[in-house]
This record gives sequence, structure tokens and C-alpha cells, in this order.
Amino acid sequence: MKKVFAAVALVVFITGFIQAQEYKLAKSTGRLEIKEVNHVEIEGYAGNEIIFTSRNGKKDDDERAKGLRAISSMGLEDNTGIGLSVVEKGGVIEVQQLKKMDGPDVIIKVPKGVVVSYSHTSPYGDRVTFKNFEGEIEVSTVHNGVVLNNTTGPMTIKTVHGDIDASLSPNIKNPVSIISVHGHVDVAFPTTLKANLKLGTVYGEIFVDPDFKIEIEKTNNMVKYSDNVSGKLNGGGLDIYLSSTHSNVYLRKK
Amino acid sequence: MDRETLETLLIDYIDGRLAPEEKLQVEQELVNNKEAYILYEQLKEVIHSMERSSKLEPTAKLKSSFDKLIEEEIRSSKKNKTIFFQPAFYRVAAAVTLVVLGGGIGYWISKYERQQQELADIRKEMQATKNMMMTMLDNHQSASQRVLGATVALKMERPDDEIILALANAMNEDSNTNVRLAALDALSKFNKEQNVRKILIASLTTQKDPIVQIALIRILVEIRAQGTVKELQRITNDEEALKEVKDEAHAGILKLS
Repeated sequence: MKKVFAAVALVVFITGFIQAQEYKLAKSTGRLEIKEVNHVEIEGYAGNEIIFTSRNGKKDDDERAKGLRAISSMGLEDNTGIGLSVVEKGGVIEVQQLKKMDGPDVIIKVPKGVVVSYSHTSPYGDRVTFKNFEGEIEVSTVHNGVVLNNTTGPMTIKTVHGDIDASLSPNIKNPVSIISVHGHVDVAFPTTLKANLKLGTVYGEIFVDPDFKIEIEKTNNMVKYSDNVSGKLNGGGLDIYLSSTHSNVYLRKK
Repeated sequence: MDRETLETLLIDYIDGRLAPEEKLQVEQELVNNKEAYILYEQLKEVIHSMERSSKLEPTAKLKSSFDKLIEEEIRSSKKNKTIFFQPAFYRVAAAVTLVVLGGGIGYWISKYERQQQELADIRKEMQATKNMMMTMLDNHQSASQRVLGATVALKMERPDDEIILALANAMNEDSNTNVRLAALDALSKFNKEQNVRKILIASLTTQKDPIVQIALIRILVEIRAQGTVKELQRITNDEEALKEVKDEAHAGILKLS
């Protein structure tokens, strides 16, 4: 009897625990703008709601705060229960965290019809991760690194100080533009991909797997303004631009 | 009765155009006045001879020679007109020439029309591409679409002013760095155009994105655009410019001087 009671109590506790950390938004199209959220992982899935989950648990649960609501100097309000403000304005969903530093560690599950835009400028983050996501991605960060795992794009990724590590899905969608200023750009995709490839660096080096057969473009009427490698893979197709100004560019086969 | 009136009357009398009273008067005069009678005789002689001469016919010889002359004239003029087509060969040649000429002109016209059609098609296609590009560049929802728009422009042979303006706008105003760089890339392809060079130089003043600034400096140094050094010197003294941008500007000045 004691055991059963304990089990029931545990189930109730866990359910309550999970529910408290989840926020759902019925939305399968539109634009998700994630701004200044320090720790976030975006995962694609076949569903029709955007699901925000916190990995932190309720460690900062405050007895004194009961019945009060959290607000921030930016006028944000925690309407999710996990330290995030999620506001929808005409098809655009804005996600911001209330804390300036640290903040919740969030996983956001996103249906593939939604465009995800992530922008981050503060030095308090670490990296943003995209996993199995088949929609459009826009990333613009200053310090955060970017990890792309089995994403299709289309994607425009830019970071100033972060590293970019990407392993792209075989069905890449046009265009792919990945730029880092000080970090490396490390990208993997199948050698069979048809693409117009442009690899650029100014102070770094470019490394390519020998299995990629790049037909270098004739540059008689093109401007050659840096150490850009422009060429076609398998006759050309998708526009893929990879560039790191001060670090190296790596192109691997997948 | 004076002489003049008498003359008139006499002439009319000879012609038989007088009223009976006048006729009587004239006959009396002729009987009474010998001078009048002489005058009458003279006038009669003159008038009769005039009548005779008016009935004079050309002689047969004269007529025949005249007709002959006309005939000859007609014949000779006819000969002149037909001489060109006289041999059948010439006629055939003329016909063939006409056919060939007609065919040639027809072919030329149809070819011209076809060319016009093709030109119109190309123009239409270009317009469609341009519209597509403009719509893409204007897509605020998707940065990828805007990048693609700039890439479409990159593949164009010759841009028009509207496209260049749209690209310049994307390069200077777009919120996304990837889009700005793609627009800069497209613009730099057309750096032979004077207005593009102006736009690139002008962007050096207004550009706030350091990544684009660096790429822009490298391009301007590469194409040796006029006025670059002045702008670069300004950047090296700019308090707000990032260190990396200043370094690039210094390097550019060294390369250009």
C-alpha cells in the first residue's frame, strides 16, 4: 500500500513537473523570431504546434514569488512559466527571455512550415543548435556558435565570433549562405549534391574533401576580390556560400 | 453718211444681215453715190475672196505625207517601249528576278518579324526574371528568398537601373548580413558600370555592418575605384569603426598607394 501511494505520488509529481515546464502554441506556419535567448536548441518535428520545454527544472522556484508575476525592464512578461516571453504579432511569434544573463535552457520543437529566425548579440550565450529541422533558418549572432544537425535549409547563417558546425541533410533547399568572421565554418554534405559552390576566406584556409569534384569557374569577367573558390559541383544547382574571414573553411563529405 | 458708217453698213449688206429699211437705205445710197458703189465693189471683192480662202483644203499629197509622218512617229515610240521585253529570255529573267526579289523580301520581313518576336520574348522573359527578383528582394518574411533574389541578379548579363537600385538598397539597408553580402557580390560583378562604382563608394560612408564593410573595402581596392583612398583614410580615423575594419582600410591604402 505504501508502495502504491508512493508511485501515485511520484507520477503526480512528475506530471506536474513536466507540465509546468512546457508551453505549447498551436501554429504550423509563420515566423518564429527567437531573440537573445542564451541557451536554446531547435528541433524539427511533424506536428502542428510549437512546443517550448525547459531543461532547467524548477530549481529557481521561489516561495516568495507565489502569486506574483515576473516582469523585466524591457517590458517583457513571463507568460510561459519557463522564463520566456512568447508574443504573437501578425504571424510573427517573438520569443525572448526575461533574464539578461544565464536564463532557461530551452528546447523548442517546431513544425517544418515555420520559418525560424534566431538573433543574439550578448556575450552571455554559448551556442544555438538546430536538429532535424526541415524549414527555413535565419541565424545572426555575435558571440554564439551555431550547430546545424541534419537541417535542409534554406538557411542564412551569420556569426561574428562563433564557430559554425553544420552537417546538412541530403535534400538541401536553396540557398545556403554560411558566414563567420572569426570562427571556423565546418560543413558536411553528400558529394553527390549539385551545387554552385563558393568558398571564401581572407586570412584563413580552405579545406575540401578530395571526393568533391569542383569545376573551378573561369574568372575572366568575374571580380576576383579575395581567396574565393567559385565552382560547380556535379554540374551546378543550389547556391551554397561558405565563408570565414579570419578562420578556416572545411568542407566534408557526409 | 460718213465713210465708216457706210463701210459697216456695206459689209453687213454684203453678208445679208441688214433689216429691210437699212437694206433699202443702202441700195439708195449705192444708186445715188458713185463712191459708195466703188467701195461696195471693193468690199464685195475682199469678202468673197476671204470666204473662198477659208474653204481652202490641204492638198492630198500634203495630207498623205503628214499621215505617214504620224504613223512613223507612233511606230517608233511603240518600238521604244517594248524593246526591253522583246526577246522571251528577258521576260523570263524579269519574272524570275521578280519572284526571287519578292521571296527575298518576304523572307527578310518574316525573319525580321521572327527576330522581333524573339526579342520581345527575351524582353518578356527578362521582365519576368526581374519581377521575380524584385519580389524576392522585397520578401521581408524570408532572408533566404532575399539572398536568392540577389543571386538571380548575379546571373544576369546586364542589369538595368532599377535592379541596381534594388541591390544597392539591399546592400545598405537589409537587416540580414547574408543578404547584404549577396547583394554586394551581385553589384561587384557589374563594377564596370560607373553608377555601380559610385554606389559602392557611397556605401563605404553609410555601411554599418562590419562584415560588409570589410568585403566592400576589398572589392573597391581590387577594382581601384576612384575616391577609395579618401574614404579609407576617413575610416581609419573613424572612432566608431571596428578595429578589423580599420585594419582592412589601412591595408587597402597601402595597396592603392
